[in-house]
Amino acid sequence: MSAAFAATSLHKRFRTRFGRTESVALDGVDLEVPRGEAFGLIGPNGAGKTTFIKCLLGIAHPDSGTVELLGGRPEDPRSRARVGYLPERLTLPGAWTPRAFLASVARLKALRPERSGLDGLLARVGLAEAAERRIRGFSKGMRQRLGLAAALVGAPDLLVLDEPTDGVDPLGRVEIRQLLAAELARGATLFINSHLLSETERICKRIGILSRGRLVRSGPLEALTSVQQRWRVRFAPGPPLAPEALLALGFEPAEGGAWEIAAPDAPALNRALDGARAAGALLVELERASRDLEEVLTEALAAGAA
Amino acid sequence: MISIVVALDLLREAAARRWFLALALALTGLLILIVTSLRLEVVDGALAATRLFGQPLYHQIQPADVALRPVFLVASQVVFWGGLCFGVLGCADFGPALLSPGRIEYLLSLPVRRWELLLGTFLGVLALALAGAVYASAGLVLVLGAKTGVWTGWPVVSSVLAAVAFGSVYAGMLAVTVWVRSAALSAATGASLVLLGLLATHRVALLEVMGRGVGRTLFAGLTAVVPPLGKLADAAGALASSAPLAPGGLVRLLAGTLAFAAALLALAAWRFERRDF
Repeated sequence: MSAAFAATSLHKRFRTRFGRTESVALDGVDLEVPRGEAFGLIGPNGAGKTTFIKCLLGIAHPDSGTVELLGGRPEDPRSRARVGYLPERLTLPGAWTPRAFLASVARLKALRPERSGLDGLLARVGLAEAAERRIRGFSKGMRQRLGLAAALVGAPDLLVLDEPTDGVDPLGRVEIRQLLAAELARGATLFINSHLLSETERICKRIGILSRGRLVRSGPLEALTSVQQRWRVRFAPGPPLAPEALLALGFEPAEGGAWEIAAPDAPALNRALDGARAAGALLVELERASRDLEEVLTEALAAGAA
Repeated sequence: MISIVVALDLLREAAARRWFLALALALTGLLILIVTSLRLEVVDGALAATRLFGQPLYHQIQPADVALRPVFLVASQVVFWGGLCFGVLGCADFGPALLSPGRIEYLLSLPVRRWELLLGTFLGVLALALAGAVYASAGLVLVLGAKTGVWTGWPVVSSVLAAVAFGSVYAGMLAVTVWVRSAALSAATGASLVLLGLLATHRVALLEVMGRGVGRTLFAGLTAVVPPLGKLADAAGALASSAPLAPGGLVRLLAGTLAFAAALLALAAWRFERRDF
């Protein structure tokens, strides 16, 4: 599968107006996202996430390194024509209606702004009834939805979304997740930058963690959150279990009445389970122990800082 | 083509701004006032009597086209200098608005080249200036033509000179904005260019009375490149009032003004291409 984009050894430093001080925004970032995937970039404020997106789209120029965007260069308008972008804060023309704004975006993308198509986009983001209203009266969530609709103009191959659910109510977030799932099913690539880890977890199958301009973790979500060689088991409530027996077999109490066990391989895991069953335990659930994204992020940031 | 789309978007944006609505209303109101309050009696092509708000203005009988020349001359100067002042204040925010955070990032993510955005903004503002100047002068020509039967297109042509003059000033305002995003600085640059353009008109006379020194050299350098706006205004007045005009002089004046604007736009585009947002 070819890459939607590939960044190689990307460096970017920002200097103050008189060049006295400088800060490192990107420090040798290598990242490749295959087409058709949903990739989430997470990290603390100032990690360089937005700078990375700007370099990706040609909005900022990297000091060194290369970016390949949909097989071309970010500076090439033909590459950007196939990208939909939702910036973190989008300034919208308050006096315009959402339909007029989307028509302008379509024209700037060299597309014919068909009214039915624009109304269809507004309906997809839940703004059909606001099509004739002035944007200046929109709430933050409505502006965010309109920004998303603008990103969807022209059915782009790559969607770059900076905090797509920011300011959107919980029901709206569900709608946006469904919409993004539909885009993914269409074959679009999603690149999401979000500080809402739970949202990122629900949408993206691959995650990258950026810290101080460096990509400190990258890979499938499952691999990043799973804890190697640890298993979580749950036994049926019923005949009282002697915790001492499980503790003696190497089981450790976990949250919600579950137990965890370290097992380097399948035979070791089965030996422990056989021992538990021999002690009267009835196994009802077995899964690889995993952490949530927050724990992964915390650990990655701590490792990056060390 | 994309520059035209950007320019049209700017015009749509301007249509929603109070400044420009106020200007359109003021110009329309002024024209309506002239229609309703000015009475011109023309007999055999001669202006026999003029009344404004019922009060007689002129007592001399002279050909209507001759009588209207000073009117068109004054109108052309009002359009030229008034348009420059209004444009400097009213258009100072377009560049900074284009470069505002949250807007410029989005525009640059679209399949639009940076120079196209800059050129589109310039063309949009130029179209706005042209529309205002032509509306005012064409309105006056229509009103006076209907009242006197004297029809001339020269006042409208002269208003194009006013738009060209403003274009050179706005190119400087836009170039400064690409470096520092500030509406106040943009307006200050515009005002400085208008002032310098006025001084450049009397460059030779002023240099003669100035003592030697750095100030004189600086003044000589600045006024050598800034278009002499006073000369352009004189040419606009001469065109509007059908006065004789050396065609070669006007062509040189226009060529210099356009070259000045093109150089500033090229400088702005050079910086814009390299800037991070």
